[in-house]
Amino acid sequence: MDVYHLGPQAFSSRLILGTGKFSSASVMLEAVKASGAELVTVALRRFNREQAGDDLFGPLSAIKGITLMPNTSGASTAAEAVRAARIARELSGSPFIKVEIHPNPQHLMPDPIETYEASRILAKEGFLVMPYIAADPVLAKRLEDVGCASVMPLGSAIGSGQGLGTADMLGIIIRESGIPVIVDAGLRSPSEAAAAMEMGCAAVLVNSAVAAAGNPVEMAAAFAGAVIAGRKAFHAGLMPQSRTAVATSPLTGFLGTNA
Amino acid sequence: MITIKLNGKDQTLPDASVVNDLFLILGAEGKNVAVVVNETIVRPENRSSHRLQDGDQVEILAFAGGG
Amino acid sequence: MKASPEWLTAGDRDSEALAAMLAPCSAEALELETLAAESRAITLRRFGRTMSLYAPLYLSNYCSSGCEYCGFASDRTTLRRRLEPDELDRELLAMKRLGISDVLLLTGERTGQAGFDYLQRSVERAARHMQRVTVETFPMSVAEYRALADCGCTGVTIYQETYDRGRYEAIHRWGPKKDFVQRLETPARALEGGMKTVGLGVLLGLAEPVADALSLYRHVRHLGRTWWRAGLSVSFPRIRPQTGGYQPPFPVGDRFLARMIFAFRIALPDVDLVLSTRESAAFRDGMAGLAITRMSIASRTTVGGYDEPDRAEPGQFDISDDRSAEAFCAALRARNIEPVFKNWEPAYNGPSGVSLQDDVVSEAHPCP
Ligand code: SF4
Repeated sequence: MDVYHLGPQAFSSRLILGTGKFSSASVMLEAVKASGAELVTVALRRFNREQAGDDLFGPLSAIKGITLMPNTSGASTAAEAVRAARIARELSGSPFIKVEIHPNPQHLMPDPIETYEASRILAKEGFLVMPYIAADPVLAKRLEDVGCASVMPLGSAIGSGQGLGTADMLGIIIRESGIPVIVDAGLRSPSEAAAAMEMGCAAVLVNSAVAAAGNPVEMAAAFAGAVIAGRKAFHAGLMPQSRTAVATSPLTGFLGTNA
Repeated sequence: MITIKLNGKDQTLPDASVVNDLFLILGAEGKNVAVVVNETIVRPENRSSHRLQDGDQVEILAFAGGG
Repeated sequence: MKASPEWLTAGDRDSEALAAMLAPCSAEALELETLAAESRAITLRRFGRTMSLYAPLYLSNYCSSGCEYCGFASDRTTLRRRLEPDELDRELLAMKRLGISDVLLLTGERTGQAGFDYLQRSVERAARHMQRVTVETFPMSVAEYRALADCGCTGVTIYQETYDRGRYEAIHRWGPKKDFVQRLETPARALEGGMKTVGLGVLLGLAEPVADALSLYRHVRHLGRTWWRAGLSVSFPRIRPQTGGYQPPFPVGDRFLARMIFAFRIALPDVDLVLSTRESAAFRDGMAGLAITRMSIASRTTVGGYDEPDRAEPGQFDISDDRSAEAFCAALRARNIEPVFKNWEPAYNGPSGVSLQDDVVSEAHPCP
């Protein structure tokens, strides 16, 4: 069976779904089911009486085969993220933590320095650390060195729906990484998710593209199919692009004719 | 009476209140929540015995939707 | 017997593209031209019109191993000697007069006459004269590599010779080099010890070349992923005539060698590809600018040989391109390629992987 590993855990679904920005908890839960995701992200929030229905732990855990991956969104420093991670582990009992640190609430770009620090500390504490980062190949290797379970570079700015704007850098990260690479953020359409999978990433994470779709449940199923197709294509091996010869003055004329 | 900060808002409580008493106020009974008192996590088994003090900063957290 | 590691034996998606390029198709001539064009374009984009140059200096020809193909094997009757400190200084000065400032120091397997202490002292001397000092010697421990790095050695060349374990064990008749896995793990030890660069290669002619090329590629990729700060290079030595008259059982022709070099350039766009004076002037000139980015010049394969070039004694193998440094550089310039002797300041030559501490920028370690 075609699985990938995050730390000791094997996953066969290569679609990870975010649970934010849905119109209602019930639509979100239906979308999670339709996506076939085995890993879903959740955020830590203050409990309040008005939105008591917001406690997603119960309903999400009730879906068969789901593992929760809390994120540290809201944190703008490593210290805040580490604190959030410890509380989240208390709540979820899950070793997964998506380290997400953006100091600027407008464009939500991840802070590489704080992310590195938090990841280093959390990996030492036994978390399966999944850092959300810019598509920076050196940062990805540094995070692998400190024991992260994966790296999650962005395809383009979070929520932007700009697709694989960072494709060249993602290609380098995938090629050089010894841990699973999960493309997170920026995807808008299933074809982009398929393209990311064809490049050889281990999984993709989508949230807005499903939550903000005309019909989120149907779109979740569409992403599920696209991710499977993209993975199959990668596994099968794409046909090589044709190389075109240049006929003018041969470059290899200096070679003899002996084989 | 003591006054604590509960999820950022002032809250007055009778003396000798414990963490569990806060769940009634918030409507969080039976929910899966994390409790942090002054930066320290209070685990479920200690919530009926953990006495609150005047000036405590209490956060009660749960999972919500997020990407 | 220790098993070969999984990165070597497990098949992988990654090397399939390389395999396709190495298998000649029916329109062979056209296809080789196509690979050459692509390889040239990549080389030009990534490396520009430059060629980095180095020269080998044999410190010693003592050896305890019995490699069938080598003129220094311990059963050969070659006169054994090593360079003493004053001779080494004279050789280095003679090399400098030729314009060489990047030296590769060579020895055979570890012996009493030329062991680690001797090598360390030689590296330290060479680092006083040269911008860059690298070694192609016996495998060492991590601690030994670190000690060499502290003395100014920045790189290690260590060929597996062949990745065909059966062939490997047959040809390496005795001596420490007989241990296949120990040798395979040597580049990683060198990098762990703080070397900035490692050079890999297979000795073409010893075993089936396509399989060896694929294994070599896997080795490069494995090291690149694990030691991602490392500078990697790949050499393409073909067996040359030498004392003992070894006949390679898998001779490799010019066209296959060219194909292999183009394929490596396409598959490894960022890696230095090296061609030595084992190859003819015509082949070297032809490959310059198409794929190769680093070449040896004015090589001697005898112990020393720069200070008194007329001393005739048999070397490790016979060189083919025997042009002077000047003539070779002129040939490169005629092809619009700039020979480069110096790529960086020796001030940067400390061991790799050492991060700056907040308050101290420490001086390079003094050599013992
Ligand atoms: S190849 Fe190296 S180890 Fe083998 S005999 Fe020659 S000098 Fe010695």
